[in-house]
Amino acid sequence: MTDTPLLEVRNLKVHFKLPGSLLRPRSGGSVKAVDGVSFHLKRGETLGLVGESGCGKSTTGMAVLRMTPVTDGEIHIDGEDITHLKGRALRPLRRRMQMIYQDPFGALDPRMRVLDIIGEPLKVHKLVTGRKAYRQEVLRLMELVGLLPDMCERYPHEFSGGQRQRIGIARALAAQPDVIICDEPVSALDVSIQAQIINLLKDLQEELGLTYLFVAHDLAVVRHICDRVMVMYLGHVVEVADSEALYTNPQHPYTQALMSAIPIPDPRAESRREVDPSIEGEVPSPVNPPSGCPFHPRCKHATEVCSRVAPTLRETTDGHAVSCHLYEPETEAESLVRVASIA
Amino acid sequence: MKDAVANQPANTPGETMQKDPVGGLLQVEHLRTVFRQGRREVKAVDGISFSVNPGETLAIVGESGSGKSMTAMSLLRLIPSPPGEIIDGDVFFGGRNLLDMSEDELRDVRGNEIAMIFQEPMTSLNPVLTVRQQLAEPMRVHRKVKEEDIEARCLDLLRQVRIPDPETRLDAYPHQFSGGMRQRVMIAMALACEPRLLIADEPTTALDVTVQAQILELLKDLTRQHGSSMILITHDLGVVARYADRINVMYAGRIVESGTAREIFEQPRHPYTLGLINSMPRLDASEKARLLPIEGQPPDLGNLPTGCAFHPRCPFAVDQCRQQDPPLEPYQGHHLKACWVNVDD
Ligand SMILES: Nc1ncnc2c1ncn2[C@@H]1O[C@H](COP(=O)(O)OP(=O)(O)OP(=O)(O)O)[C@@H](O)[C@H]1O
Ligand SMILES: Nc1ncnc2c1ncn2[C@@H]1O[C@H](COP(=O)(O)OP(=O)(O)OP(=O)(O)O)[C@@H](O)[C@H]1O
Ligand code: SF4
Ligand SMILES: [Mg+2]
Ligand SMILES: [Mg+2]
Repeated sequence: MTDTPLLEVRNLKVHFKLPGSLLRPRSGGSVKAVDGVSFHLKRGETLGLVGESGCGKSTTGMAVLRMTPVTDGEIHIDGEDITHLKGRALRPLRRRMQMIYQDPFGALDPRMRVLDIIGEPLKVHKLVTGRKAYRQEVLRLMELVGLLPDMCERYPHEFSGGQRQRIGIARALAAQPDVIICDEPVSALDVSIQAQIINLLKDLQEELGLTYLFVAHDLAVVRHICDRVMVMYLGHVVEVADSEALYTNPQHPYTQALMSAIPIPDPRAESRREVDPSIEGEVPSPVNPPSGCPFHPRCKHATEVCSRVAPTLRETTDGHAVSCHLYEPETEAESLVRVASIA
Repeated sequence: MKDAVANQPANTPGETMQKDPVGGLLQVEHLRTVFRQGRREVKAVDGISFSVNPGETLAIVGESGSGKSMTAMSLLRLIPSPPGEIIDGDVFFGGRNLLDMSEDELRDVRGNEIAMIFQEPMTSLNPVLTVRQQLAEPMRVHRKVKEEDIEARCLDLLRQVRIPDPETRLDAYPHQFSGGMRQRVMIAMALACEPRLLIADEPTTALDVTVQAQILELLKDLTRQHGSSMILITHDLGVVARYADRINVMYAGRIVESGTAREIFEQPRHPYTLGLINSMPRLDASEKARLLPIEGQPPDLGNLPTGCAFHPRCPFAVDQCRQQDPPLEPYQGHHLKACWVNVDD
């Protein structure tokens, strides 16, 4: 075992060109969906990726899987740079990294039997030989995710949302991956079924030593499955920390506001909870992001420097990093200005 | 809104309340709504009774398909027919039975005394009309507001729902607003006539948590200011804990438990409610705590199990549960449950 992380992402940028308008055909701007994101994934851990709709969570996941063009930055797996791999060279990557999608209804081919949906990766990556071994492996996977073997001849529409998500998980597992990117795997499910799937993902991780990047907008769900959590805002990482540290001591004003906005299912705790007013205001557009710190228009602590200078992500305590001027050490120039103004 | 109006005592009982035995604003009795699909009959709302008191917020919770929306739609007779049909029941509102009214009488109640906020704002906002046109309509029709006062009232409403710069937004079209702002415009429309009852069907499910918090706080403030009642439909127990006075828990078209928010969260008496509370992921949980799911799958409303509809998933089920349907009965005072078994703490 080395200390090399399983996955390392450095300064990742994904910008989408917008089509120009009729009047100004060349002036189409770009959506800075992901704009300089760095993180790593340790073997066997679960890293949560949270943030508001449109902040770039799915795009980050897709870029890591090399399913969307990378504008800038580097992606390393086991120390190997995979950012520019093409064609056949991508094959092993396609097997090692799998994805589970949010929409259990849209993600499965409606014309395929469950047997073939789950078994497809076995064929593509030539993981078994012969009909019998194929069927046996699919049935084993079905059992692993809690589906009954006699369901294997059925089609997706005959299953409930929770069962379809199990089918998606079995299919991802078929490729014997190291990393699974779970993109909002339970958001579309009922609370009672959500819990079944979260427990299943946990058990599978323990059994198979999987590593997860777990994308979600629900911080409460993330708390039950993640070791570390990364918070995104408008294409940037604003905070990353061990789960426990993030929930007990959120540092970034956005993370604090996000936590205060989440209702707790307990009337007594609720009557004491105060909603952070800094969360008022609209989510800004990634086409025309604010200058300086992307959160400054909504931040109650914002100072003049926040609207001018973008803060950088830096460690405040061990493993806890935050991107906010409140936590930046004073520069020499600033301290001189301050001293001068006091004097 | 004019102060004189806002300061009126909450929901002065109407003159025609004589039919109303317990003084509730809304009284629903044995409501039954079905959908017919060939020979299949889906029991979307299966004989439910409940009431809403003046000034209170009643939450309806339950999993997807349990009949929450169809209950709300039935109250206002908005069920698509065919395939749907209200086959039984009464809905008394201020002493009048909404299910017996003529279409004309009902139109006068809808959007006026009872307003509804739908889950998806784009489907209920008209894309070709400006916000001004849509806000003014109910004021003209129901409240006969003078033409010269309408603009001021519209601006006032937009300000109440915290639309920044309402003057510049009044003549905008719905697509020029963000999702959260559209939802706020919907709320402004619903409030235009100061309804006595507001029905909010998953008003924030499609929105981000931060925007969700803004909107729910707003609804709470506004209903409080006007003393209106609210039926809040949601599957988010966290939302319910903060905003509801009383809760109806629905399962398979029935109310299986009903009580105050405290009773439901602190002493859940139906195994389904208990399961729902245990399976909720919590922000204040201990680190990576294991969730306790309800095993099994939600029932098929066209083919319900015999006896208690929850019995195939219920860890407490006894023989009686498989054979006989438990009625909704008092457990303690106004805390009701429909279950044969006593679930202890
Ligand atoms: N193919 C694309 N072309 C143009 N813009 C895109 C494309 N894909 C995503 N975007 C934009 O990039 C931004 C980030 O999108 P992304 O899907 O990563 O958000 P997200 O954080 O996953 O949000 P959600 O929680 O809603 O799934 C959004 O503004 C989105 O509109
Ligand atoms: N047009 C329709 N035709 C047939 N069945 C319908 C129709 N509309 C609703 N139903 C059925 O009525 C039942 C109750 O639906 P309803 O929309 O009230 O559920 P809900 O509790 O609001 O769920 P959700 O949380 O998903 O909104 C469902 O089982 C649904 O399948
Ligand atoms: S009646 Fe029986 S099956 Fe139904 S909830 Fe109660 S214990 Fe469970
Ligand atoms: Mg996404
Ligand atoms: Mg509904």
